[in-house]
Order: sequence, then structure tokens, then C-alpha cells
Amino acid sequence: MWRFLSTRIAMGALTILATTVLVTLLIHAVPGDPVQIMYAQSQGTTPEQIEEVRRSLGLDRSIPVQYAMFMERLLQGDLGTTIRGGQPVLDVILQRLPNTLVLACSAMFIAIVIGIPIGFLAAYREGSLVDTGLMILAIAGISMPHFWLGLMLLFFFALELGWLPVSGNGPLNLILPALTLGLSNAAIFARLTRSSMIDVMHQDFVQTAYAKGLPKSLVLRRHVLRAGFLPVVTMMGLQFAFMMGGAIVVENIFSWNGVGRMAVEAIFQRDYPVIQGFILTFSVVVVVVAIGIDALYAVLDPRIRRA
Amino acid sequence: MTSLTDIPNGSAPPGFWRRMVRSSNGVVGLIIVLGLIFCAAFADLLAPYNPARMGTGGRFLPPGGKFLLGTDEFGRDMLSRILYGSRLTLLIGAVAVGISLTAGMLVGMVAAFRRGWVETLLMRSTDVLFSFTETLIALSFVAVLGPSLQNAVIAVGVAAVPFYARTCYSAALVETSKPYFEASIAAGAAPGRLVFLHLLPNVLPTMIVVATLGVSTAILAAAGLSFLGLGAQPPTSEWGYMLAGSRDYINRAPWLMTIPGLAIAITVLGFNLLGDGLRTSLDPVERR
Repeated sequence: MWRFLSTRIAMGALTILATTVLVTLLIHAVPGDPVQIMYAQSQGTTPEQIEEVRRSLGLDRSIPVQYAMFMERLLQGDLGTTIRGGQPVLDVILQRLPNTLVLACSAMFIAIVIGIPIGFLAAYREGSLVDTGLMILAIAGISMPHFWLGLMLLFFFALELGWLPVSGNGPLNLILPALTLGLSNAAIFARLTRSSMIDVMHQDFVQTAYAKGLPKSLVLRRHVLRAGFLPVVTMMGLQFAFMMGGAIVVENIFSWNGVGRMAVEAIFQRDYPVIQGFILTFSVVVVVVAIGIDALYAVLDPRIRRA
Repeated sequence: MTSLTDIPNGSAPPGFWRRMVRSSNGVVGLIIVLGLIFCAAFADLLAPYNPARMGTGGRFLPPGGKFLLGTDEFGRDMLSRILYGSRLTLLIGAVAVGISLTAGMLVGMVAAFRRGWVETLLMRSTDVLFSFTETLIALSFVAVLGPSLQNAVIAVGVAAVPFYARTCYSAALVETSKPYFEASIAAGAAPGRLVFLHLLPNVLPTMIVVATLGVSTAILAAAGLSFLGLGAQPPTSEWGYMLAGSRDYINRAPWLMTIPGLAIAITVLGFNLLGDGLRTSLDPVERR
């Protein structure tokens, strides 16, 4: 188990390291002069100020030196300052990151609570009308753009019925964005759970369990569910990353004050330090969650636990 | 010699069409996709008005009458805009998937065929990029290149390369370990022959399924970027961009929101169903 986990942790560290390199190179891939572009929108910037920014970003040095400078600051917890407002990027991100995490976790909860039972039910009644109906629902759910679902929910629950607020950051405001993100992922979980459970139900050890006379509920609980969950758990890390990505869009629909909304604003404003900070934060969150889920997987699967 | 290396490849597996017709998902998907291609090809003839002309009708006319799907905030005909939008949508899907498929298959096949340090280097970097997630790669690309539809399509295409590379790599790896492949090597087949005559035709079925499903992912991702304002710019009748604009008139003209959204959903559903159908027809093991 430790060997399995240490490989995963090493892989995660490598990913984050690669991110730091890419983030440094990112600013050089910008066509034209990044500093000129960044300040193109603000009036009254003198050439001296622009030179000063170029120096502070290290853009007058060679790329390896820039990377070393970037890493040195990063290890001290310094991600630079925003172009608009001049605040420390780390503060801006840390202030908004909890909102995004709350949104992604609530959506994950909704996806699991709705998706997994539906998938299990469909697998249990494989080939029946219930199965067909649920799977049609699931493929429709996967095909529905979540930004459209979000707009529709906004229209019905906030504007037509007036049950929920349109935008803001209170607990009531969380309901619609979490539902938007959760429902589209519930469909993915339902399909995944179904195919995984069906695979297990057709395997020999399940037939054996029935043959030795165990009651159906016990077979399902002890054999099918435990084995059938493993592939679903494996997918959760990827799903979480998917949700963090979806959060970028959903946050913008509901004006939820998270890092996704910040990133899109930063792209419009060409605020490169914020974009760099966002990319780094995003990949750290995704890597940490993936390792956490791998650990969970290792605990659940005796083949890995005892290895 | 020929009997050893010339194993029939590339044709549809036995029973492919029968299984395809029997899979109701695949048939529905195929009908939707063909319908879309028809709309896109004949948008000039089918569209009743010029999609870009403002004041074709009054502003915010509800669906019905002279304007079957109503008009938008500039009095442009929604039906014409949707029809011309289908062109853009199919083009976006095709170009993005073309990028992912070409680059992904190249990386995957080279890694499986060359082995050794080439394989390690290619697949480890693919793993790292894969854990980056597609959204982040696409967003970084747009952040660097600047918002435009062209950049959004490139971003979406590039972002999916690691996934295509991985899938192609595992399909190719299975193929290289089969007895016929080893026999061809033993018979002295040139690398070009091995790759193009044996590897390529045999990974193609898997990649066709992946690409068909990939069209829907690419269309969704590009529409998402346009929705955020990072893709198509005005006055394009791109569906995701149209949806974004509808937000301001959600109370006054809800059809501006429902219609483009429905168009995206139906398109994506069509490619998803077609991909599902192809998978069950091409791969009998996965028929469940």
C-alpha cells in the first residue's frame, strides 16, 4: 500500500513541479509584450512604470533565472501582486478558494447521493424498463450543457417561482450552483455505477455466493456493492477535477465569488500574476484530492492494502 | 510470405451493420447527426432570413408566425441564426477532434511501437498533462492566446490530446503483443508496414468511438468557453455565445435561452448516442 501511495505522491509532486515551469513559460508565450498588454487598459502608465513592472516580474532576465526567482518567491508563499489593485495574489486566491471548494464538495455530494443509487437500481433491474428509462435520463443529463442547466434553474427557481436568490454568497445561494454542477455529474456517476455493478453481478464469485444459499440482500451488500464500488471510487478523483473545471462556468452564471470567476475576470483583464496563481492553485487542489482518493482506494481494495 | 502478413484489416467486423441497426441508441444518434449535417450544409437554403441582419423583425418577437423561433434583442431571426450556428458547431467539433485525434494517435502509436525511453518520456509527460485536466489546459491556452473562437477551438483540441494519446497507446499496446504482429516482425516487415498496415487499422475502431464521443465533449467545452466570453465574439451566431447573451433578457424573452441550449443539447446527445452505438457494434465484448 505504501509503495502504491508513494508512487502516486511522487507523480503528484512531478505534476505540480511541471505546473510551476509551465506557469513561468506561460507569460512568454503571450504574443507581443506581456507588460504592454497588461497595462494597455489602464491610462496614464509611464514608460518608467512599465520598466519597473518588467523588472519586478523578472522579465528582463533569462528564463532559467526567472524560474529560479519565481520558485524562490513561491517557496516563501509569495505569488506576486495583482495588476489591478496591487494586492498579494495569494491573499486574493485564499479569500476565494473556500467558496469554490464548498461549491465543488456540495456538488460532489449531490452527484454521489443521486447518481450512485440510480446506477445501482438500473444495474439491479438490468434490461428492464426501469433500467432503460434511467439510462435515457442519464445520457440526456450528460448531453445537457451545465451552463444551460444553470440558466434554466435560475429562470425557474429564482425568477419564476422566486424561491431562491438569483446571486450572492449566502448558504441559500449555494443551492442552485451546487445543483447545476451536481446534477450533470450525477448522470456520469449513474452510468459508471451501473456498468461496474453489472460487471460484478456477472462474475463467478457472486454466482457462488448465490449458489451457497446466501440471501440476496447479503450478496448485494457484501459482495456486489463492495467490489462494484472500486471503479467508481477510482473515477472520483477525475470527477472532482471535472467539477473544479465546471465550477469556473457555474460560478460565473450565479456570480458565486470563487476562484473560477476570478480567473475569467483575470483573463479579460490580462492580469497574468492572477492567472498564474489560479493555474497553480487549481493543479495543487486537483493533485491533493487525487492523492486522497487514491489513499481511500488503497484502503478499500484489499489487493492494494496488503501489497 | 503474404499469407503471414496480409491479414485482412480495416474492414468492418462481421455483423457490424446488423448490430448497429439493432442498437436503437446508435440509430437515433445517426439520425440526429445526419440531420445536423443536412442543416449545416443547406443553411443558405433553409434559413428564411439573413442571420446577421438586425431588424429583420421587431425586437423580442416570441416564437411563431413569420419567425418560427422568434427574434432576439436586435430583431434578428432566431431560426436563421440557429441554422447558421449548426455550421459553426460542427466545424468546431471537427477541427478540435481533428487536432486531438492526430496528435493523440501519433503520440500513442509511437510510444507503443518504439518502446524504451521514447515510450517512458511520452507516456510520463502524457500522465502529467492528463492530471492537469482538460479545463485547465484549455483555459491556460485561451489566457495566453487571447479570447477568440479560433483560439478556443485550438485550446479544446489540444486539451484533449493526453486522453486520446492514452487511449490509443493502450489499444496499440494490446495489438503489438498479439501473435500476428510478432509474426510480421519475425517475417521482416518494415516499420512503415507494421505501423500503417497492422497498428493503424486495428486501433482505428477504438479511436473512431473515442472521436465520436469526443466531438460532443469538444462542442460542450467550446460552447462553455464562448459562454464565458472567451470564445466566439459578436456578431457570430455561435450557440454558446448566444446563450450567454440571453442571460440579460431571461425574464423578457426566455426563448433566447431555451432554443440555443436545446440546440447544443440535441447535438451533443446525437454524438453521444452515435458513439454509444458504434461502441456496442464495434466491440462485442462491451455490448452490455
